[in-house]
Amino acid sequence: MRKFLAVVKREYLQRVRAKMFIVSTILLPVVMSLFGVVPALILNIESGRPLRVAVVDETGRMYAPLLAAFEEEESEEPAQSSSPDPQAGRAAQRGTTAMGGMAFEFSEVKADGRTPEQVKADLDRQLLEKQIDGYLVLPPTFIATGQAEFFNNNPSDMISKGNLQSTLNRAVREQRLVDANVDPEKRKALFKGVELQAVKIGAAGEERDSGERFALVFAVGFIMYLAILMYGQVILGAVIEEKETRIAEILFSSVRPFTLMMGKLVGVSLVALTQLVIWGSAFAFFALYGINMLASQGLEASIPNIPFSHYIYFGLFFLLGYFIYATIYALVGSMVTTAQEGGQLAMPIILILVVSFYMFLPVSRSPDSTFSFWVSILPFSAPVAMLVRIVTQTPPFWQIALSLLIGFGSVLLIMWFAARIYRVGMLMYGKRASIPEAWRWVRQA
Amino acid sequence: MSANEITVKLDRVRKSFGDFTAVKDLSLTVRAGRVFGLLGPNGAGKTTTIRMIVNITAPDSGSIELFGRKINFELQNRIGYLPEERGLYRRMKVVDQLRFFAELKNVRGKVIESKIDEWLERVKLPEWKHKRSMDLSKGMQQKIQFITAVLHDPELLILDEPFSGLDPINVELLKEIVLDLKRSGKTIIFSTHQMEVAEKICDDICLLNRSEKVLEGSLREVKRSFGRNAVAVRCEGGDGVLDDPVLVSKVVRHADEAQALLAQGANAQTLLRRLIDSGATIGKFEMIEPSLNDIFITKVTEHA
Repeated sequence: MRKFLAVVKREYLQRVRAKMFIVSTILLPVVMSLFGVVPALILNIESGRPLRVAVVDETGRMYAPLLAAFEEEESEEPAQSSSPDPQAGRAAQRGTTAMGGMAFEFSEVKADGRTPEQVKADLDRQLLEKQIDGYLVLPPTFIATGQAEFFNNNPSDMISKGNLQSTLNRAVREQRLVDANVDPEKRKALFKGVELQAVKIGAAGEERDSGERFALVFAVGFIMYLAILMYGQVILGAVIEEKETRIAEILFSSVRPFTLMMGKLVGVSLVALTQLVIWGSAFAFFALYGINMLASQGLEASIPNIPFSHYIYFGLFFLLGYFIYATIYALVGSMVTTAQEGGQLAMPIILILVVSFYMFLPVSRSPDSTFSFWVSILPFSAPVAMLVRIVTQTPPFWQIALSLLIGFGSVLLIMWFAARIYRVGMLMYGKRASIPEAWRWVRQA
Repeated sequence: MSANEITVKLDRVRKSFGDFTAVKDLSLTVRAGRVFGLLGPNGAGKTTTIRMIVNITAPDSGSIELFGRKINFELQNRIGYLPEERGLYRRMKVVDQLRFFAELKNVRGKVIESKIDEWLERVKLPEWKHKRSMDLSKGMQQKIQFITAVLHDPELLILDEPFSGLDPINVELLKEIVLDLKRSGKTIIFSTHQMEVAEKICDDICLLNRSEKVLEGSLREVKRSFGRNAVAVRCEGGDGVLDDPVLVSKVVRHADEAQALLAQGANAQTLLRRLIDSGATIGKFEMIEPSLNDIFITKVTEHA
């Protein structure tokens, strides 16, 4: 046991003290947040100046509804609002549309006795002189036909066109309802229909709060996936380290191979845990900060309503999932002589991982089926599948216990195999083991 | 510890890898407080034998006893092993590695810190204590590896080719340390194919060839059994005499001296007379024991 702790301590301290660890711990969140922030920044740059659109309203009654529709969209998306002062401009309105990022500045153009051709010629000139970015012509038949034209000098700007179209859509529908003498109350009721639709998607035939639970299962699965992707290779490297540096023989004259392997696995895993905790706390800090920000804007974010026991299951199955795959990396490491070889041999692991991850789809559809039972008992798919079952229709406790037992039992078994292969492999210098050979070594050692 | 106490005892030990038998029914005893030379050409089974003694690999049949007990993992703590295949953690500081290896032998605490300083002083590397091993030269690394084998004060020390690749000054330094350890009562198994070194420090030897023991005993007995059939000669003139196959089976010439192995049936007196008759001026004429190297070559070629 003391030797085991010595191995764990060495693995842990050597890695946590390494510059790579410190750099990656700081850099990853920075890179991640850059991925989040940079696209938003880029969109902001482009939407810095709203698109100036002149509106030629030949129907005579569409301009007001258009502005109203635009305003409404803006108020529905308060978080995305990029213009705090909706009253800026003369007779114009500004704001973002539902598609995000693109603001418009509308201005109405009255004919004032000019022929439509004259008005158009005038606007063409303004467009060329860049006084406006485009103009919208709503012909007298617009309400009936829905046909309108948008003239601009950048027809490839699909986003603006799309946004404009959806705003117009809203406006014209509104106006048609007014024309059909639908009273305001009824109109509101009809618009409420849009909100109803949103709820229906979220529910998808299940109780409302299981959506949050699914999100948590998904998050656990994702973190597991991330941890394995990042640390699987590290474990592989740690197992190979003594082969490459030829220390293995000295170690084996002092410590049992199994103790050594377990020490490495646990040591590296503690490093992973340290990194996850650092990131987790940073994330929690910003999340709390973000929740406060939202709360100050009158939005409430709540912690999902989940029984305490589920959190324990989340923890246990996360550990199970992580260790099951981590031990496979250790097994691969015991068979190969260099990290490059190991990298190739480790490829299928990712595949198994991804396939197991997607098992959550059939399992969530019928959590009580025989298929779901087996999937949640077999070690490779158990972590995600069992969690899905727990949050949907919690299976009997014995099934959960069995799944954990088989899972952690497999971890020990795989490590035992890995230790045997490692020991014999070390004695047969410089040779990568084929699978039948590895099997022979296991029996021979 | 009495001189007759047995530290290691192998009884008809056999180990095969697939079709290849690495060690064939080997029996040997290593007595406490002596330097035991495990000798033999490359591939003779020396390393496999050692690995079984330190319990890295188990024999297919036969038994191994250490300190009078059947081999087990606990006993590993009482052995210090410097394998031929050896390395250090490249990025780890010297002091950290030494501490780690000691911890793996269940030695820890303050004792180890002073031991580390003491040993670094002894191999003349105290200023490298806080350097990473990748910054050390190969010879320095080898001395650090040597410390890992002795730091926990083992009763049995197993050294597999400990001096290979070292310069003469460091070979001398380590050799002195090994002899010091012997004087303090440690048992040492010394494996090498460099006979000159073995000859200088071993009390007992066991010669392995092709997985089998071909010779065993104290160095003195072994040499005596080969008889005094060699002569060291320093003379001017009379060269042709040493090349006469009737008298001399083999001659090795050094700068100013020649060593002649007498042919079967020839005797030293005849050789001396012939040299005088040929008009040579003789500076030295001495009967010598055959070198371990000669014995080694004779035995190995005769066994083949």
